[in-house]
Amino acid sequence: MLQYVNVSIDGAIIRAVKGNSVLDTAIEYGICIPHLCHVPYLSDIGACRLCIVEHVVNGRSEITTSCTLNVEEGMVILTNTDKIRKLRRNIAELLVAQAPNSRAIQDIALRCGVKEVRYPFRNEDCVLCGRCVRVCAEVWKAQAIGFVGRGKDRHVDYPFGVRPDFCKQCGSCIQLCPMTITPCDGPMKPGEERLCGKCESQLMIADQTPDHCVWCKLGEGFGCGRYV
Amino acid sequence: MSRLNSSRELEHLRERLREQRQNIATTVMVCGGTGCRASGSSAVIDAIRDELSRQGLDLSVRLCVTGCHGFCEQGPVMIIEPGNVFYCHVSPEDAFEIVSQTVMKGEVIERLLYTDPVSGERVQTESEIPFYRAQDRQLLSQNLMVDPCSIEDYIVAGGYSALTKVLNAMAPEEIIKEVKSSGLRGRGGGGFPTGRKWSECQEAPGDEKYVVCNADEGDPGAYMDRCVLEGNPHLVLEGMMIGAWAIGAWKGYVYVRNEYPLAVKHSRIAVEQARELGLLGDNILGSSFSFDVDIARGGGAFVCGESTALMASIEGKVGEPRPKDVHTVVDGLYHKPTTLNNVETWANVPSIILNGSSWFASKGTQGSKGTKILALTGRIKNTGLVEVAMGTPVRTVVFDIGGGALDGKQVKAVQTGGPSGGCLPVDKFDLPIDFDVLSEAGSMMGSGGMVVMDEETCMVDVAKYFLTFLQDESCGKCVPCRLGIDRMLEIITDITEGRGRPEQLDLLEELADTVSQTALCGLGKTAPNPVLTTLRYFRSEYEAHINEKRCPAGVCKALITYLIDPDKCTGCGVCLRACVHGAITGGKKQAHVIDAQLCQKCGICRSECRFDAIRVA
Repeated sequence: MLQYVNVSIDGAIIRAVKGNSVLDTAIEYGICIPHLCHVPYLSDIGACRLCIVEHVVNGRSEITTSCTLNVEEGMVILTNTDKIRKLRRNIAELLVAQAPNSRAIQDIALRCGVKEVRYPFRNEDCVLCGRCVRVCAEVWKAQAIGFVGRGKDRHVDYPFGVRPDFCKQCGSCIQLCPMTITPCDGPMKPGEERLCGKCESQLMIADQTPDHCVWCKLGEGFGCGRYV
Repeated sequence: MSRLNSSRELEHLRERLREQRQNIATTVMVCGGTGCRASGSSAVIDAIRDELSRQGLDLSVRLCVTGCHGFCEQGPVMIIEPGNVFYCHVSPEDAFEIVSQTVMKGEVIERLLYTDPVSGERVQTESEIPFYRAQDRQLLSQNLMVDPCSIEDYIVAGGYSALTKVLNAMAPEEIIKEVKSSGLRGRGGGGFPTGRKWSECQEAPGDEKYVVCNADEGDPGAYMDRCVLEGNPHLVLEGMMIGAWAIGAWKGYVYVRNEYPLAVKHSRIAVEQARELGLLGDNILGSSFSFDVDIARGGGAFVCGESTALMASIEGKVGEPRPKDVHTVVDGLYHKPTTLNNVETWANVPSIILNGSSWFASKGTQGSKGTKILALTGRIKNTGLVEVAMGTPVRTVVFDIGGGALDGKQVKAVQTGGPSGGCLPVDKFDLPIDFDVLSEAGSMMGSGGMVVMDEETCMVDVAKYFLTFLQDESCGKCVPCRLGIDRMLEIITDITEGRGRPEQLDLLEELADTVSQTALCGLGKTAPNPVLTTLRYFRSEYEAHINEKRCPAGVCKALITYLIDPDKCTGCGVCLRACVHGAITGGKKQAHVIDAQLCQKCGICRSECRFDAIRVA
């Protein structure tokens, strides 16, 4: 039988299913917390840090990722304070500077309110969200791909760089990859990367309702948990 | 030796060993720590051993190869009892003299004594040396008495009596209460109260619990954990046993990095010896307490010093941190309650139990109790391990113990706490060494590394060095740490190479703040500290790099030029021959000139010049 706990998210008292994460609960109740590495049916690793929230304990707030934080009775969570929005914007800026050629990442940046990118663009193909690695290991129990290397050498690869027999080329990894969502304008050429910002209607939504879910088209782009 | 079945048998063994050693009149204690071995103490030890047997003294004189004494600068060092004669820079050729004069006749060899740099006089004992005078060596002094490979030495020195005390007379709750009231805080960096950690772990549900000793020390320039573990491994084991008894654990791990071969070897020997005596295993000393320890070797990742990454590594997984929304005292190694403490923390436990919490709490400040071992390195006269009571001002450590900067230069800053700590300028040197005070100043205690910098150190370059280290060592799992450090390094590289823009400083500050607040683990959260503290205390240096395109310390190659002062140059031609790039021209007895196009700024000419004619502008 499901057990429930009462948590306060942004001042709203919510009856949440015990054992669920704060992120899942918030999404279910229409509170927008942008996220990238979280996929509802996969385990959470807290890698992208976009879903950070303030967890208030005894008057002191600590910042943690909502995907790895489970709801508990009496918990107080703030998802959209100025501080959080600024930090989230800075993280999204780092991401979009790394992979501007991904529509998902561009949409996340827009949703997080990134208006300018202060770093030189790089044209990377992977932001190491680990969705592909986890779907391969957890859904298909194949572990045909994994993280290799450390720090700036970290990348996703087959074991020893060779496709193993147990990779059936099912394509789940590609489906979940934020890089494979077709960019609206076509791929940018290296050296011409920019912050897209073309979805002006979405831009207004992102500005005016940063804190609650309006089923925005951006979420569809970045694979928001709401759409799964 | 046979298995000990009760505390009384341990006491009997201790008395027997002490009686056996009464005949030994003289003890030669030679440092066999890694520092002294690097300066050749292994050859000294062999030479003394040969000399002793040649003169027929091997039975009446005890040669004790100990762990680190602390004064690595002067290595190899040795102490000869009685008389407490301290010799430094000993070489194998001195063995004959040492044995025939000091050991046989008690005569002191003047030549090998330490010279006080201030008074110029030779001093005979450790306590007269300024380096040792201001110290309060509780843990390091225990290194001097024991051979780390000999459990007998440790038992003779009173070892394992804290264990018998807790097994016979103290309930787990009492131990935890004692540790709590002692005010002991984690020595690995975080400074979390040890007693609270233990009690949370004890209260955590589950029968299967673990204790882990973190000896994966990786800060550049820090080596106190290595010296404690390789110098006195039984002390650490005893601490772990007491902790295990208190929280109800039956299994422990010592996670030691593989780059510390001596520490791995000594801790393995110690575990074997303790098992042989029944101090590890089932029903220790006839009690209901069963506990065993395994040695786990680290594979070379700095991030594995982080608690969750360390536990993943022991489990055989990739050493990456995981979110700690549930603490490791509840969900740790193999998802069981786990108490992880640093080597130094464990080593402090036996003396707290023996001497009582009030003894320990009598040292130190309000928030930080006891003593702390610091690794003093960098541009300083006396490098080595220093143990001081908490609350000692940084100034005392750097100037009184460390003796100030090398070559008469001015000390500019000290970097505390390794790559995660920060740089404190000279005007903050009156701050006491205390967890909270150092954190408030933007730095941290960390594991206790202290790197001293002089006027020829560029603070922007220091920040760049630590960021490069952290970029290599970040596991790359979370975005703020992987990309944030990368971008910070990109900005700082721009600044050091003359491409800096004023607005980049604000961006750097904002980014550093984002990384420190949002990163997944302790490595990322503290990674921006070197940047933040250098920005806070040495902002003018950053501004000079950006606005004037000038490196005040003359370090950043893109911003400096080497010039020859024509008034000072005698035309000797040394620099001309030394320059590998052929950038220096000039005739005999004429002032030479450096061709800025060809100059690679390697600095060889400057170090070769005997007339101080080459300067950096």
